Amino acid sequence: MITELNESNFDSFIDSHNKVLIDCWAPWCGPCRRMGPIVDEISSETKDFAVAKLNTDENQAISTRFRINAIPTLLVFKDGVLVQTLVGLRPKDDILKIMSGI
Amino acid sequence: METDVVVIGAGPSGVQAAIYAARRKVSTVIIGKPSNSAAADARIENYFGVIGPVRGRDLLDNGIIQVKSFGAEFVEENVITAERDGKSFIIRTESGKEYTAKSVIMATGISRVKLGIPGEKEFIGRGVSYCSVCDCNFFKGKTVAVIGDETEAAMAAELMTKYATQVYWITKGPKAVKALVDRALLAGVIMKDVSPKEIRGDGKVESLVLGDDSEIDLDGVFIELGAKSAADLAMDMDLMPEMDNTIKVDAKYATKVPGLFACGDVVGKPWQVARAVGQGCMAGLSAADYAKGTK
Repeated sequence: MITELNESNFDSFIDSHNKVLIDCWAPWCGPCRRMGPIVDEISSETKDFAVAKLNTDENQAISTRFRINAIPTLLVFKDGVLVQTLVGLRPKDDILKIMSGI
Repeated sequence: METDVVVIGAGPSGVQAAIYAARRKVSTVIIGKPSNSAAADARIENYFGVIGPVRGRDLLDNGIIQVKSFGAEFVEENVITAERDGKSFIIRTESGKEYTAKSVIMATGISRVKLGIPGEKEFIGRGVSYCSVCDCNFFKGKTVAVIGDETEAAMAAELMTKYATQVYWITKGPKAVKALVDRALLAGVIMKDVSPKEIRGDGKVESLVLGDDSEIDLDGVFIELGAKSAADLAMDMDLMPEMDNTIKVDAKYATKVPGLFACGDVVGKPWQVARAVGQGCMAGLSAADYAKGTK
């Protein structure tokens, strides 16, 4: 199951997992609706990453903190540190390839 | 208005689809601007029975005459929304015309998305956006520019006035209907009749240089070329496009959504008039048969 992040659980989620993939999205964003199922698949297949979603509309402070100004955006964290920001709709294979290099 | 078949797109594939649907004696409406078709500016010399080179625009003009002669209605506008309503589809155009159709054929072609100016690629996600609806919220209180001539740019410019404090619309003459343009201007959009030249910044977008070498200080550049994309229209009708933005169809050019068909460049390469026309024939017949079956 994919965790829904918000202001109250964001930092603890990042800190409590070694590798984290976060899908930043909003309901009216067409490309986000296409990215969603891809991230769901990755979530059910990956053993190395904790996968979560962040609604950027409801969590604008986090969006500002990570300088998100386009969605979908994928944030990749390792040991609590942001190591990759992927902007725009990406094929599953591209995302897996980037994840495998983390 | 109720109709049997709506064809979205007035390129070779859409026009041929409309011709076949209309000749099957189902009420047919074709919505689109032939001038926006990729074929319009092409010189064609590999199309059966036509000794070329012939101007694509001339073939399209003839096609529109044909399609009307067979009883179809031609609406030279862009579609701005499409949705499913039970078994029907509701299609709205830029001037506010609304059609309820039993069957829809997507013959939209492939839209150009990228502008190709310096700085564009560099600042994607750092101020450059291709989706105002997605990203408007990140530009509250900021200054932005919208680039494009068609309906998507007009609507993006108006939308951005609700978020940004200053909105420039960079257009070499708007092609959207006057009502949409007026609405953007009324909302406070500042129109600039000049080409964009370069997006500049340091880590994020800071300015847009225009063709007359003037420079606008701003925070965001929204690139909104053409009409609403096939991918967006498909999703609005509950159909998930492929990753490359094409639409998957079966041998009858039917999509997974009952009553929704697709043909032409939007279903994939090679982007050839002959192929598009052949597919349009098939999609037109399939859509007409579907509409008849639901009567």
